[in-house]
Formats: sequence, C-alpha cells, structure tokens
Amino acid sequence: MNTRLVLLWLAVGIPLLWGVLKTLENALKLFH
Amino acid sequence: MLAFLDRKNTVAPAGFNRFMVPPAALSVHLAIGQAYAFSTFNLPLTKLIGINHSAPGDWKLAQVGWTFSIAIAILGISAAVFGRWVETVGPRKSMFTAAVCFGGGFMVSAIGIHLHQIWLLYLGYGVLGGCGLGIGYISPVSTLIKWFPDRPGMATGLAIMGFGGGALIAAPLSFWLMEHFRTAQSNGILETFVTMGVIYFMFMMIGVYAVRVPAEDWKPKGWVAPAQPKPLVTNAQVTLDVAWRTPQFWLLWVALCMNVTAGIGVLGQASPMIQEIFNGRVSPAAAAGFVGLLSLFNMGGRFFWATASDYIGRRNTYMVFFVLGILLYSTVPTIGHLGSIGLFVTAFLIIISMYGGSFSTVPAYLRDLFGTMHVGAIHGALLTAWSAAGVLGPVLVNYIRQYQIAHGVPKTQAYSITMYIMCGVLLIGFFCNLAMRAVDAKHHFRASPKSGTAPNAGVQA
Repeated sequence: MNTRLVLLWLAVGIPLLWGVLKTLENALKLFH
Repeated sequence: MLAFLDRKNTVAPAGFNRFMVPPAALSVHLAIGQAYAFSTFNLPLTKLIGINHSAPGDWKLAQVGWTFSIAIAILGISAAVFGRWVETVGPRKSMFTAAVCFGGGFMVSAIGIHLHQIWLLYLGYGVLGGCGLGIGYISPVSTLIKWFPDRPGMATGLAIMGFGGGALIAAPLSFWLMEHFRTAQSNGILETFVTMGVIYFMFMMIGVYAVRVPAEDWKPKGWVAPAQPKPLVTNAQVTLDVAWRTPQFWLLWVALCMNVTAGIGVLGQASPMIQEIFNGRVSPAAAAGFVGLLSLFNMGGRFFWATASDYIGRRNTYMVFFVLGILLYSTVPTIGHLGSIGLFVTAFLIIISMYGGSFSTVPAYLRDLFGTMHVGAIHGALLTAWSAAGVLGPVLVNYIRQYQIAHGVPKTQAYSITMYIMCGVLLIGFFCNLAMRAVDAKHHFRASPKSGTAPNAGVQA
C-alpha cells in the first residue's frame, strides 16, 4: 500500500470522522 | 514557488495512483464547507464590546447576517467569472488561490473585529472568503472527472461531499476555539478567526501539494470509452461560450435551482420548524440534534446519489429527486397532523440527502451533456443557480409562514402551504429534467485544421 496515499486519506478522514462523531453526539439528543 | 503551481508541473508521472486526487479535492472542500457553520459566529459577533451581552455600540444580528449572504452570493459570481481561468491554469494554482482568499478572508475579518469595522468583515469573509469559496468549489471538479472517466459521479461526489461535511468539523471546532480563547476582556472570536484562517490555509495546502492532472492520453487501466455512449452521454466537446447558449444549460440551471430552493429553505428553518410543528414535544436541544442529522444526510447524500448516478444515469437520478421530493413534501403536512416525529425526521433526512445529491450529481450531468473540455467552467456558470436559490428558498419559507401566521393560521399548521408550494417548485424542475435531450451536434467543438486540437482555438460546427 502506498504510504503517501494512506497519509493523505488519514489527513482528511480523521477530521471528518471527528466532525461526524461530534454531530452524532448532538443528534442523539433528538431521541432522548 | 510559482513554477510549482503551473499546470505543466502538475502532470502526473506514469504509475501515479489516481486515488490520491479525491483526498486532495476533499481537503479543499472540507475547508470551504466551513461556510455552512458561519452561524456559530453570529451571536459572538454581536457581543464584541459587551462580551457576555450585546452592548449599545455592538453590531446587530441583522448586520452580521449579511456576511454569510455576501459570501454565498460571491461564491456563485466568482465560480462563474473565474471558471474559465480555473480551467486554464489548472487545479493547483486555483486551489492555492482559493486557500489564499479563504484564509486571507479570515485574517481581514479579524482586523475588522479588532477595529470594530463591519465593512472589513464584509470585505474579508464576504468578498475575499466568497472568492475562495467559489474558486475552491470548482477547482478540483474537472480534474476529478478526467481522472475517473469510468466513475465521474462517484469521484465528484466524494469531493463535493466535503463541502457538506465541512460544517460538521467547523461547528464544534469554532465553539471549542472560542471557549479556549475566552477571557474576561474578550469573547475569543478575534483569536478564533486568526487561528481558523491559519488552520484552513494549511489544510487546503495539503490539496495544493497532492493534486495532479492526468497526462493527455491517460486512461484507467483496462478502460475503453464506450463506442456507443448511453443516451444523453456524449463523447463530443462543447465550449463554455456555446454551452451557456444551449437549452440544455438552462434546463439544468432551472432544475438545479428548483431542487436547491426546496432544500435550502428547510435547512435554514429546520430548528424552529420542528419545534413549532410538534409544539412542546421537541426541545431546542433536540431540534439542534435534528439540524445535526440533516447536516449528516446532506453530506452522505452527496456521495450516495452521485455514485448511484453512475449506475442509473444522471437524468434518472434527478427524476428520483423530483418525484420522491414531491411525494415526501406532499405527505409532510399529514405526518405533522398525525404527530409522528420519527416519520417527519425520516422524510426530511431523505429530502436533504437529495438536496446534497443535486449538487454532487450536477458536474457529471454536465460532463455527460457537454464533454470534459470546459466542464469546470460550465459548472462554475451553472452555480449561479445556487445563488438564486439561496434567495428564493428562504424567502418562500419565511414569508409564506409569516403571512399565514399574520392571517390567523396556528403555528403548528403554518408550514403546510409552504410544503405544497415546494411541491410546485419541484414540479417545475421535474418538467425541465424531463425535457432534457442530448446537445445538438451543431454545437459540438471541432478543432480548427490549423491549430490541431487546442481547446481554445477550434471552431464550432
């Protein structure tokens, strides 16, 4: 596997995943 | 440094992995997608003097609200104006320009906050940042289409998904930074603007560094362009100058505008709408959760629908948007009367996924109709439909609701007429999409005998 390719996807994927998790945290309040 | 940005220096070497390009595009779209979360700054910007409350000299909310409107208007205008330039200089120089404009926009705004001059906020985030939004939005699109001729929908869907996802990152990041920099003398927004300007500039530079264009004769391994293209898909090319004069361009312009109008009005009013329709059953915190879910489906829909369009075709995908949209909007008032929050939320999640999907499917739709030669510039011109919808959608939702309440309609029912009007809006889009035909061969680009196949030197048939 190309290391640069993995690093590049991690660079954009980690902030995006963090944003999704934060949003899901807030969205759960809808069901409480 | 400037030579590094030139198009000729971005041509990919043999063996380059084309899956390096989507994250490069994503880095730009995730950054500029911050615009969707600008509202997190609205209240703090009205408390620069009072810190914990709005003091008499502080900016008013209505004044601050103009910043976002200017940025979105400039997004559409700059995408249209700079589309041809972006196509000429290539993705690296245009991404770099977008990073300078977007990051610089935050810096100029920070100066405006420091001096308490609102015109600097308009100029910084609104005008300069808006140019960053427009140029950044279109800069990777044609490059992705050229790298993924076999899956153009999926490729552009991945990038444009970032624009929807940017708000998911920006909203919590903005709150965290403002809290971090908050002191007794400052609400932390000045430092937050400077920090975000630096962070976003650096993040967009990842894309500037990584993006490559394919060599002229490059094709994916084992892929052969179909000799007999599918209906509405062309192997020919149409230039920007000719494309915008064709009925196909304007049919798609109206179709996009109608679908975005239907979605954008809901997106802006989602929180008060769910609280008013289900009076007393949905708290402000739960409504914020609903807005978060909408953002997630706005993002996910961009990837899902654009990828689906590679299999079912662009026109059919748009048909799904309009038919399913009309069905859902027409049943929302009934769902409201039944009091089913679950069904209501589900309906709007699907609607908002199709709102995002219309943005991400449109570059591949344009590629099918007009070819790849000027697709980035044509896409830029088409984005003026977004600016128009940005005015039309909120006006329809807000004013009709206000008119009904003023005429004695209870708040719980004030959205019903709006939903039926949205059905009418989608019906217009449906007929435009239904009328779509392949571009007449007389509009196809033919290279001039003297100049070979140079894209800007040919003649129209």
